[in-house]
Parts: sequence; C-alpha cells; structure tokens
Amino acid sequence: MNITTFIFILLSVISVGSALMMIASKSPVHSILWLIIVFFTISGHYVLLNAQFLAVVNIIVYAGAIMVLFLFVVMLMNLNAETEPIKNYRLQLVGILSGGSLLLLLVLALMKIDASHQVQMKVGDAGLIKVLGMTLFKNYVLPFEISSVLFLSAMIGAVIIGKKEEKSAN
Amino acid sequence: MNSIILSALLGVLMMFSGAFVKRTTLSKYFAFVGLAGLFASSVYELIARQPFFHIDVHDMVHTNNFNLAFIAIVLGCTLIYFLLNGSEIEKVGAHVSEYYALIFFILCGISIAATFNTLLMLFIGIEIVSIPLYILTGSDKRNLKSNEAALKYFLMGAFSTGIMLMGIAFIYGGNPNASFFIHNLEIGSGKMPVMIAVGLVFLLVSMSFKVSAAPFHFWTPDVYDGAPTVFTSFMSTIVKVAGFFAFIRLFESAFGVVQNQWQSLVLFITAATLIIGNVTAVFQQSVKRMLAYSSIAQAGFMMLAIFALNNKAKEGILLYSAAYSLATIGIFAILTKMKDYTIDGFNGLAKEQPLLGFAGLIFLLSLTGIPLTAGFQSKFFMLMAAIETGHHYWIAVLAVLLAAVSAYYYFRVIQAIYFKEPSPEGVVSGKLSSVYKLTLILTVILIIIIGIYPELIIGWLYS
Repeated sequence: MNITTFIFILLSVISVGSALMMIASKSPVHSILWLIIVFFTISGHYVLLNAQFLAVVNIIVYAGAIMVLFLFVVMLMNLNAETEPIKNYRLQLVGILSGGSLLLLLVLALMKIDASHQVQMKVGDAGLIKVLGMTLFKNYVLPFEISSVLFLSAMIGAVIIGKKEEKSAN
Repeated sequence: MNSIILSALLGVLMMFSGAFVKRTTLSKYFAFVGLAGLFASSVYELIARQPFFHIDVHDMVHTNNFNLAFIAIVLGCTLIYFLLNGSEIEKVGAHVSEYYALIFFILCGISIAATFNTLLMLFIGIEIVSIPLYILTGSDKRNLKSNEAALKYFLMGAFSTGIMLMGIAFIYGGNPNASFFIHNLEIGSGKMPVMIAVGLVFLLVSMSFKVSAAPFHFWTPDVYDGAPTVFTSFMSTIVKVAGFFAFIRLFESAFGVVQNQWQSLVLFITAATLIIGNVTAVFQQSVKRMLAYSSIAQAGFMMLAIFALNNKAKEGILLYSAAYSLATIGIFAILTKMKDYTIDGFNGLAKEQPLLGFAGLIFLLSLTGIPLTAGFQSKFFMLMAAIETGHHYWIAVLAVLLAAVSAYYYFRVIQAIYFKEPSPEGVVSGKLSSVYKLTLILTVILIIIIGIYPELIIGWLYS
C-alpha cells in the first residue's frame, strides 16, 4: 500500500464518517460543521485526481460561501436541538423507503465500475486551470456565455422579490 | 440560433428600459415590437435556413426544420399572448419591464431547450426557463397564495433539477465516450448498462416533473392556482409545450435506440397522467383550477408523442403545441376579464359579451377536440402516432375515453356561458380594448384554419 492509496482511504473514511455524523447530529450547527469537513475531504479527493482548480473552487464556494450562509440562517432562526420538531413515524418510513431505493440504484450502478484506478496523482491534465480555460473558451464557449442569461435572470428575480413595492405604481 | 441570441439581447434591453422609461405602457409597446421582430427573424431563419449570426458553436446546438418550426410556433403564440394580456401584465405589480425581460429570457431558454445538442445545453436551457418562472409565480407579492405557490414551485423545481443533473452525470460517466453529445452516447441497442439506465430514469423523472406528468404533477394545481393568472396562462401553455419538445428531442436522439426498454415506463406515465388529469378536473369548481388539471390531462395526450416517437408524433407535437397554446391562452385571456373565477362566474357571458362568449366556445371546443377545430386535428395526429407503433392499442382507447370525460368539464363552462342568466352586477370587469377583441377574433380564426388545414403547420417539417 503506497502513500496515495493510504491518503485516499483516510480521506474516504473521514468524509463518509462526517457525512454520517452530519445526518445523525441533533444540533443543526453541528451538522453544518460536519458538512464543512465533508467538503474539505472531497476537495482532498479532487487533489488526488489531479484537479487542483476544482479542489480550490470547491473550498472557496462550498466550504466558504455557502456554508457561511447556512450558518447565518441557522443562527438567525435560532435553531437548535430543542426546537427540532418531532419526526412523524410515517414520514420516517417513507424517507427510509425512498432513500433506500435510491441507495440501491446507486450501489447497482457503482458495482459496474472498474475500481482499479481510484487515485491518479500527477496523471492527466484535465483538472489544471490552463486546460480548463482553453476548453471553456473554445469548445464550451456557448454554454459559458449563455449561463450569463441564467444568472442575469436570477439577479432580476432577486431585485423584484426583494425590492419594496411603492404604494402607487407609475 | 437567431432566437437564442436576439431574445437574450431583448431581455437585457427590456431590463435597462425599466430604469429609464417610467411609463409602463411604453415598455408594453416596446416588448411587443421586440417580440414581433424576434418572430420575424425566426420565421426568416426557418425559410432561408440561414441565421443572421455565424458563430462556431462547436455543435452545442443544432437546428433543423423541426425545431425551427417549433420555435416559430412558440414565438407566434407568445405574440398573441402579449396582445391579449398586455394590460393584465401591467396590473400584476410595479416591475412591468422586468416581467417582460424575464419572459424574453424564458424564450431564450425555450430556444435552447428546443435546439440543444448536448445534455449540458439541455440543462442550461431548462434552468433558464425555470428560474424566471419561479419569480413570475411569486410576482404578486402581497398575495399569500402567490408567495406559497412560488416557494412550493421553487423547492420542488430545485429538487427536480438536482435529479436531472444527477441523471446527466450518470449518463456522462456511463457511456463509453464520456460524452455530453446526445448523438454520440453509443448506448447500443442491447441491454442498457446500469449507469445509463439509472441516468435515463432520473432524466425521465425530472422531465416528467417539468411537464407536470403524473405521478410528478402534485405541484401543478397549487402553483397554477396561486400564480397571477396572466403568468399561469404563459407557463401552462408555452413553457409546457417547450418542455415537451425538449423531452421528445432528448428521448428521440439520445435514447431512441433503446426505446423498447423504456417504452413501458412512458406508457405508465401517459396512462396515469391522462386518468388523473381528466378525472380530477371533473370535480373542480374554480375555472382556473379546472384549467390547471386540464393542462395535466392535455399533457397526457402530448406524452403519447414520447411513447410513439415516429413521424406522426413529430407532426402531432407541432400541431398540438399550436392548438393547445392558442386555445388555452385564449381561454385564460377571457378568464382574466372575469369578476368571478368559478364556473358560475361565467353564467350568461354570451348575453353580456357575445364576442367573448363565442370565442370562449371555440376555445373550449378546441380543447375538447371537436372536429373543425385545431384541437381535433392535434388529438387525431397523436392517436394516429400511438396506433402506428403497432402495439399497446389500449392506450389510444384510453385516451379517447378520457377525452370524452374531458368534454364533461369543458361543456360545463360552455353551458354556463350560453344557457344561464347573467348575474345583475355584470360578468365582466373593466372595459375591453379593441386590440383585445381583434386578437381574440384572430385567435379564433387561427384555430379554425389549423383545424381545417393542418398542413399549414405540418408542411414546415418537410419544406
């Protein structure tokens, strides 16, 4: 067992473990902190796949921005273990059924995977920022530009929803 | 290609016009002129097969007669929608030019969803359609029902988007080329690999959600009921048929070779949609809610095209988009003028406003599928497509039986319009402009012309 395989297994154990802890912990704040650990370990996996850019972006966007937003919401709404609503038994059953069937599907799909190359340190340059930029602005320039329409419409939406309506239009 | 670029630009223009133009009627005319130009450019592209812009898109989108004709139909219907509802959009709120900007962005998304050649573009197209819709649903900010509808639509829609993305990821990872291109998946006609099968089911679920096919239709009645009526009219017609078009394009190009493996799944969805939509619509008292269920029922008919996926289905979906959109936009335009949205609110409409009553009659007859209307032709083509597949004839029989059920709830409104006495305080609120009346007449004429001469639309497929 070489060092990369060891790191891969270590990261995998930590990420699966903290993902489980995220679901299991009673307090929403603790859940979020566990989720941050999950994001960090997944970034570690990206580094192992030689995708440094993705790893950095994953930390900045998810562990940084989105998680801070989550924390703010949880703290502003003052959620904690006591305010957790009591879960409905029937709802739990439905959740187990639907989640279980999804798990079954995923496991079936994963069983077909050739698992001999989990780790590809320094192999392939697909994840490097230079290659990414070249692909993005050559082959994928249309979707890249068109996504600006998507963000623009979301921004307009935020303004429409957020702006205070004046009493008399016109 | 024209419509993708020009509609995005028009959206941006409308957005800025909101900052400089204070009078809302001005932005109405501006939007209308812009849309007319957009429609003309798309018709030009359809006839000349030559876009204004020559951009190397690296095969991300692909245009042919089928999707160019569809885009032209959609833009034409939107033009009629603008003419009929211009004054109603102004009444929704203060941000009129922003609403128009969002509608133009939706049209951009529809053009992408109709011409996509890769799963990536499909995703972007569907998202550009969905996000402005969440906003338009919640645009009536002081109305609690509108807020609830927007939140419900947003949460459910975000969830289905997640499922779609996961499906795309599975298909990307599962095909031997690791490709997004729908023509390049190389699934093979044998038994599907599990990864592809999972991806296919996920895409089927999320697309069914977007077109509100049962059993993924639960959001539809609440959202259509809660949204401002003008925007309900837009999203139950133009957006819905665009969803179907993307659905057909995806399943024909990407998964057409393995049709025998997913056909029974689609068959189940079709049957469930037809039954649930038609049977539940019978019990509705509010016309708006009835139309929401009827849109589910009509979605069931459009699902037949996905079940069949032959040439008749292609012709059928073009006809169906035109016929269903025109009739539903028309009936919604009448509904917005009503004081009372229940079926009793339509009592004696023909006595007070003969034109509105007659137009309503034609729209409802077309939705039912009575001969000489466009609705008949479109339903006829769908049934032909289903029968031409050569198996599962029962689905065509079921569709016909349920179309008979649909006659019940459509005719209840017709009965109210023609055979009941109007209430003393009047049926219609506000004055009707001459543009509104002329457009209603135009819509009626279009429905009858398409009903007599469907080649007018189908012909574009083969020109």
